[in-house]
Amino acid sequence: MSSNLTVFIVDDDPAVRDALGLLLGVRGYRTALFSCAEDFLLGWQREWAGCVLIDIRMSGMDGLSLQRRLLELGCLLPVIIVTGHGDVTLARQAFKAQASDFLEKPFDHDKLLAAIDEAFSREAATRGQLRRQQQGLDLLRTLTPREREVMQLVVTGRHNRDIAPVLGISVRTVEVHKARVMDKLGVDNVADLVRISMLATD
Amino acid sequence: MRPSLSRHLQYPAFVGLYLLFDWATYIDPMYGLNITPWNPDPALGLVFWLIHGRKAALPWFVALLSAEVLVRGMPAGLPLTLLCSAWLVLGYGIIGEALRRRFSSSNMFDNRRRLLTWAGIVMAGTLFNAVGYMSLLSLTGRIPAGEWATALLRFGVGDTVGMLVSMPLIWVLVSERGRERLRSAIWRWETLAYLALGGFVLWSVFGSILRCEYKHFYFLFLPVIWAASRQGLYGAVLAVFALQLCIITLVKWSHAVHIQFYELQLLDAMLALVGFFIGIVVDEVRQVSHELKHTMRLAAAGEMAAALAHELNQPLTALSTYGKACEYLLERGESGPLLQNAIGHMIVESGRAAEVVRRLRDFFRTGAMQLEVVEASALIAGIARQFTPQFHEHGIELVLAPPQPLAINADRLQLELVLRNLLANAQDAVLGQSRGRRRITLRAERLDGGRLRLSVEDSGPGISSSLAARLFEPFVSSKASGLGLGLVLSRSIVEAHGGQLWAEVGSHGIFRFILPLARATAASPGEPQ
Repeated sequence: MSSNLTVFIVDDDPAVRDALGLLLGVRGYRTALFSCAEDFLLGWQREWAGCVLIDIRMSGMDGLSLQRRLLELGCLLPVIIVTGHGDVTLARQAFKAQASDFLEKPFDHDKLLAAIDEAFSREAATRGQLRRQQQGLDLLRTLTPREREVMQLVVTGRHNRDIAPVLGISVRTVEVHKARVMDKLGVDNVADLVRISMLATD
Repeated sequence: MRPSLSRHLQYPAFVGLYLLFDWATYIDPMYGLNITPWNPDPALGLVFWLIHGRKAALPWFVALLSAEVLVRGMPAGLPLTLLCSAWLVLGYGIIGEALRRRFSSSNMFDNRRRLLTWAGIVMAGTLFNAVGYMSLLSLTGRIPAGEWATALLRFGVGDTVGMLVSMPLIWVLVSERGRERLRSAIWRWETLAYLALGGFVLWSVFGSILRCEYKHFYFLFLPVIWAASRQGLYGAVLAVFALQLCIITLVKWSHAVHIQFYELQLLDAMLALVGFFIGIVVDEVRQVSHELKHTMRLAAAGEMAAALAHELNQPLTALSTYGKACEYLLERGESGPLLQNAIGHMIVESGRAAEVVRRLRDFFRTGAMQLEVVEASALIAGIARQFTPQFHEHGIELVLAPPQPLAINADRLQLELVLRNLLANAQDAVLGQSRGRRRITLRAERLDGGRLRLSVEDSGPGISSSLAARLFEPFVSSKASGLGLGLVLSRSIVEAHGGQLWAEVGSHGIFRFILPLARATAASPGEPQ
């Protein structure tokens, strides 16, 4: 693993925590260990990337509460819930709170690693999407007000000659504005222009 | 009949013993015939028949014949004696076969039904036997005309009482298992006490029997009921036989043949039957309570196992994870401190798992408690944690009273089990309420006298007095999936800790239990252990 992705482990059993740290460390994962939910919440930072492995049964705040709290905080880390006695109720609660996976102790280690990898790729996908979104928003901000007006009319499917009278400018000027918009946003067709413009309306 | 006796010796031994019985109980005979008030010898013969089946017929015939010759000098003449003996063996054989068919694979004295069947077969068979025997004697003129009915009654009573009183004891004595069970049942001082009482009662009553026609016979029920109620059937068997032996001895010794000995024997037969019935009922009740204890132990172990599953899971998880890590380390060719460290951890973790297993095994074996100092607040916090997810799910508010430092000497797992039971019950109780009105309160308080009171209250409908009466009965459950053992188990755990558990009748559910505080806290509150 060459990325900066980290597996955050929250489990109140020191032996389990230590063993997981060792195993994942040997497999080349970066790990960070927390002995309780409160510690994790205290340390948590938005930039943290990777996934969280949370045991349900912990002293203090339990695993499912931590999961819900993280969701409220807008944490993007995928959550893998771990439990010694997986029953349907717990699993349902975990998945309703958007858990990435639900594993039973003792672990099937292949499943564990697969779950972590899947969580990583899920996280990467989310982050990639967010990044693209952010980039799109940044690009939109570079448009002048006139250019934005032209764009909004273009994406509704109007022709240049229909737009010109609406804005009270010549068809030729509309064409110039449209070309500049496409250029600034780095798109070469109307479909992509529509996609980026929708970021502004979200 | 003992296994140590070789097969060939068993038959002469039987004949010898039979003769001895016949000789010893040849009292008050009618017309010098084998019509006596107590014949334990056929009981011996029946047991022999039960063991050997039809092969017992010939030795029995030999025994009857030699008894006529040796004990009574063959008063009826050879042909008639041969005929009568043959008839008796036939009759006894029919009883023996009936019993064998009925009880070939089971004990005769296990339950009331079997006892009744046994007594019925013995009585009916004896009647049949007596009718034939007396008719033979009467037809050949050995019994005066008109005396047939009296002789029939006497012979019938003698045989019936002999079998009823003696057969259970002989039956118990012939088998190794029976001897062992008899020994374990009666081998105590109490046996001497009730035998002494029996002797005393007999001694003081016998004079009055001679004078007042059994007016005080009922006193003899005292020692028999004592024996039966304390030691079950085995005690009753012993007491009844001992009393009969004493009665016979007294009659023989005092030559009190003028009393209505047959009536005495009838009373004695009733005494025996009553004793056996009480004994069997006592045995049955004990058996049921023993089975219940066993079931409870199993149920408790099941709950313990559930509680331990989590504790076992943690070291197992750590173990397998360390193991997997070691595998990767070896693959990488690592053999340094990292590997050693991991292996050291594995050893520690397997010790932890073994400890959990040992506790479960201890519980199975003895129900033994593993006492440690437990903080009530830690106990409550721990159990509350286990319930948090499901309470959350059902919108149940769990109120915990502010913790105080209260320490008890207890088996943490067992007490967790009690609290889990009570909380699970409370949860079921409040689920009937609408959301927002589901509340469970868990509170620990100190009481005077160094006691801790734990209360679980719920906002459910509460417990009516009629339900409260049946609440702690085993196998009474209001839940479709319940075994009805949770509260019974909880109560027995709390009582084993020297406390009490009860439910309060009220408008909402209240369960409380009291436990003695650990001594240090009881003396100086607030001091850490």
